Amino acid sequence: MLVLTRKENEKIRIGKDVVINIFSISENNIKIGIEAPRDVKIFREEIYQSIKEHAKQATVNRKKVLGTNYKALKLNKIIENAEK
Amino acid sequence: MKIQNEQFGEINFEENSVIKFDEGLFGFEELKEFLLISEDEGLFLWLTSIDEPEIIFPIFSINVLQEKFESKESFEPFGIVKLDKEPENVTINLKAPVFINQVEKKGYQKLIDNESNVVDYPLFANK
Repeated sequence: MLVLTRKENEKIRIGKDVVINIFSISENNIKIGIEAPRDVKIFREEIYQSIKEHAKQATVNRKKVLGTNYKALKLNKIIENAEK
Repeated sequence: MKIQNEQFGEINFEENSVIKFDEGLFGFEELKEFLLISEDEGLFLWLTSIDEPEIIFPIFSINVLQEKFESKESFEPFGIVKLDKEPENVTINLKAPVFINQVEKKGYQKLIDNESNVVDYPLFANK
């Protein structure tokens, strides 16, 4: 792993297409801007991991429940609270 | 063409029924080709990898849960479902829906980065 030190408003370039901007630094967080081509997927790491883990369990768990009949169950419809 | 797995046995399919995910799925980026298998009496569709036939994702149409879920024209939004013996633990991923065009046989996954779309939305209502 490469570790770099940067100040506010400094940048890091990764390859020819990706630039990381350090916008602001405060005590508990930093705000960064990322310029990248559209096909580069950008995630907060913990969200990527939770999506991956959910999918992994989805393909493993289905084997354990084959034949389970869920059809009688009531779906948990998404209710939009638009008018508030 | 054919593949084989434990859940469906031998699956014969035509090349034009293959759904192509050019970028794969999040966490499974190397898997680009899938079959979408449905069953007469089933609640779910089974997104089955051609490269790794034991990898099968149960998916469920998000349009059934929410009428106006945003999606590109002719792409239907689905959520990957994590099944469980206990219905209250069955969850559907609404944060990263899988969009499928069943006519053009194309699919992609997209992150919806807001707090109301969660990875583990309970699919069934408590009673």
